[in-house]
Amino acid sequence: MAKILEGIRVFDLTIAAVGPWATKLLGALGADVIKVEAPGGDRLSHAVPPTIKGSSVLYISANHNKRMIELDLKKEADRAIALKIIEQSDVFVQNMRPGAVERLGLGYDVVAQVNPRMIYVAASAYGRIGPMAGEAGIDPTVQAFCGWCGITGPEHGRGEMFRHLAHLDLTTATTITQSVLQALIARERTGRGQLIEIEMLTAAMALQTTRLAEYFATGEQPAPLGSAAATTAPHQAFECEDRRYIAIGVERDEQWSGCCEALKLAELISDPRFETNSLRVKHRAELIPILAERLKTKPAAWWTMRLNNERVPNGPFLTFEELRRHPQVLANGHIVEIDTPHWGRMYVDGLPWKFERAPAGPIRAGGKPGEHTAELLTELGIVDDRRAGVSK
Amino acid sequence: MTRAGSLDGIRVIDLTQGLCGPFCTMQLGDAGAEVIKIEPPAGDFARRMGPPFVGDESAVFLSLNRNKKSVVLDLETSLGRQATALLACDADVIVEDLGPGAAEKLGLGYAQLHGANNKLVCCSITPFGENGPLRDRPGSELVVQAMAEYTASLGRIGDPPIRVGADIASLNTGIFAAQAILAALFDRLRTGEGQRVAVSEFGSLLHLRGIMWHSMSDPDDWYGFHLDHYTKPPDSGYQAKNGPLYFILRRGSNEDWDRLVMELGMEEVLADRRFADYGRAATSIGRYATEVKPIWEKAFRNRTREEIIDLVKSVGGDAVPIMDYPSLLVHPQVAALEAISEIDHPTAGRFKTVRPVARFSETPDSIRLAPPMLGQHTEEILRAAGLGSL
Repeated sequence: MAKILEGIRVFDLTIAAVGPWATKLLGALGADVIKVEAPGGDRLSHAVPPTIKGSSVLYISANHNKRMIELDLKKEADRAIALKIIEQSDVFVQNMRPGAVERLGLGYDVVAQVNPRMIYVAASAYGRIGPMAGEAGIDPTVQAFCGWCGITGPEHGRGEMFRHLAHLDLTTATTITQSVLQALIARERTGRGQLIEIEMLTAAMALQTTRLAEYFATGEQPAPLGSAAATTAPHQAFECEDRRYIAIGVERDEQWSGCCEALKLAELISDPRFETNSLRVKHRAELIPILAERLKTKPAAWWTMRLNNERVPNGPFLTFEELRRHPQVLANGHIVEIDTPHWGRMYVDGLPWKFERAPAGPIRAGGKPGEHTAELLTELGIVDDRRAGVSK
Repeated sequence: MTRAGSLDGIRVIDLTQGLCGPFCTMQLGDAGAEVIKIEPPAGDFARRMGPPFVGDESAVFLSLNRNKKSVVLDLETSLGRQATALLACDADVIVEDLGPGAAEKLGLGYAQLHGANNKLVCCSITPFGENGPLRDRPGSELVVQAMAEYTASLGRIGDPPIRVGADIASLNTGIFAAQAILAALFDRLRTGEGQRVAVSEFGSLLHLRGIMWHSMSDPDDWYGFHLDHYTKPPDSGYQAKNGPLYFILRRGSNEDWDRLVMELGMEEVLADRRFADYGRAATSIGRYATEVKPIWEKAFRNRTREEIIDLVKSVGGDAVPIMDYPSLLVHPQVAALEAISEIDHPTAGRFKTVRPVARFSETPDSIRLAPPMLGQHTEEILRAAGLGSL
């Protein structure tokens, strides 16, 4: 069965996580992704710890489903090879600091001239216009800037960063993947490629659209609420008798009576203070202590059973050690183990989608920088004059 | 006349509610698709999320439902189910979050609809995935964050859990759902056939934490920002005189580094090995950043963050203020990017929201319709489908 993006070639001039993760997903859908790196690669991708057998995990994880080629684009001979690959490609993705790719002579205008059908993605931290045009940014700086620390943290405490410093990187990455798919559909109709511009800042703001909406509606900064949701209640973590926490999330009104039954607080069902979601949000300060007090009287396992019986959303706070063996994770391939040529057996992120007729994957480890240079040039019918020069 | 978006001419039937599905279909609408939002008589439950409300409309709902038409159909009645199936016959995409097997019970499953419309792309969104022991469990934003261990990267060990403030389980999954639908639409252009696609919130968040799973596959050392964040204290940036900032040193030279240290009066760190290599390991994700933070903050105490940001940039580093929403939304960069759009709503008035993210030079996304009032388009859509008498 042909994969969805079979026959689509991606010229991948990406660094760090944002660009690479986007093209890795295109690779999982069947595209032939050619990752182009300068000799030595970018420092961020290769030097960031942790490492496995000396290779940065950032590099390994963001570059599955690709083939690796080394080109020194500052040299004319290598740039000529790049242009030949570009002629045979459908998608060009780069996330260099604005201006950098133009200095390499591979800006959109040049590439579109060589290949008018090219879908060209220029991703950046803050865009190429405005007072911060050209500034570099990575996940933590964008986290700091985009307002997201102000809505996360303990109640009445200081806002804090999400310490897994990749979420906004990968959110931007997935937005790139989505936009490429859109442009591929459009190209079938128009016959032309196009330029797509994406900033991490805007992607990070879109990810907060529900929280920004609260601010736009009230003119007040939404405060951090610990584990609680701002616009639904009860929707937070509760400590149980055995000191374990469980997350409970009543998002729909019909879940409220079940929640009351499960907690043996049936009298709350008809309590006029709590009848609807908006009343419960308004009277959160009265509601939560009642529930918290009740939940402290029995262990988490008891409440989990009762909440499940009533079909109230709830769940434990799991850890990787539990997740990697979890029957739900295994049954759906949310985390999978693969064998890799250089780094042994690894746990990797499963694919985020399932296709009934044209399955994506399987996930295949990329490789080390330049690993596929000769293979690729031969396959694309590109004569490597550089090597000929050396052998003379 | 605006140029057509990439999904111009595509019709989407949207049976989803809440945050995840609606965020997905809003993006399809932004791309030019006609999105028909089928709502139960009581409306999408997101209409009741809040306060805050703008007029009678939930702010959350407004932020997720532009570019859609609302049709009220009760799937608990056979008439409602039949009308939905009929609309699906004529559509390109149907998106549902009814739970595994539920659409089939309503006669709206993929096999049933595909018989009448083999071009249909059918997307199912579930909380935990369609296989496994939790397949029928209901989910919520926090429940999925908790189970995918996102809260392990926030707060202090032993303290009550803290969630990611943004609704990431819902919204990131909405992006993957949109990808899956787009991929299937692209495939349809080549094969002429639609197909069934599926995403889950749990699977989406576990995917997005993938660097972690790699990191724990026998790393050379238990160190690095994808591992040690489990045990680090909360990070609120660096406190300066008038507020917090965040900075990174990376492209330094000897002169730059010396100047930075001298201007900040931090000469003692020149002999401190933790500040070696131009301070690279002493900020941001650097190995010693957490333990040397008080040294930086002491130097920043009597300086404004604007002074520090200028200084860091002058030595080739990156620095930004840590901002809340009021400061973000008046920032000239946000204005330059036109990141915020305004939409006129018949009852809520003019409201602000984040624009479609990607900017396409040829087939631009656009905002054409305000979020619909409940059932606003029922008559229009049903009449056009020859169901005017319903």
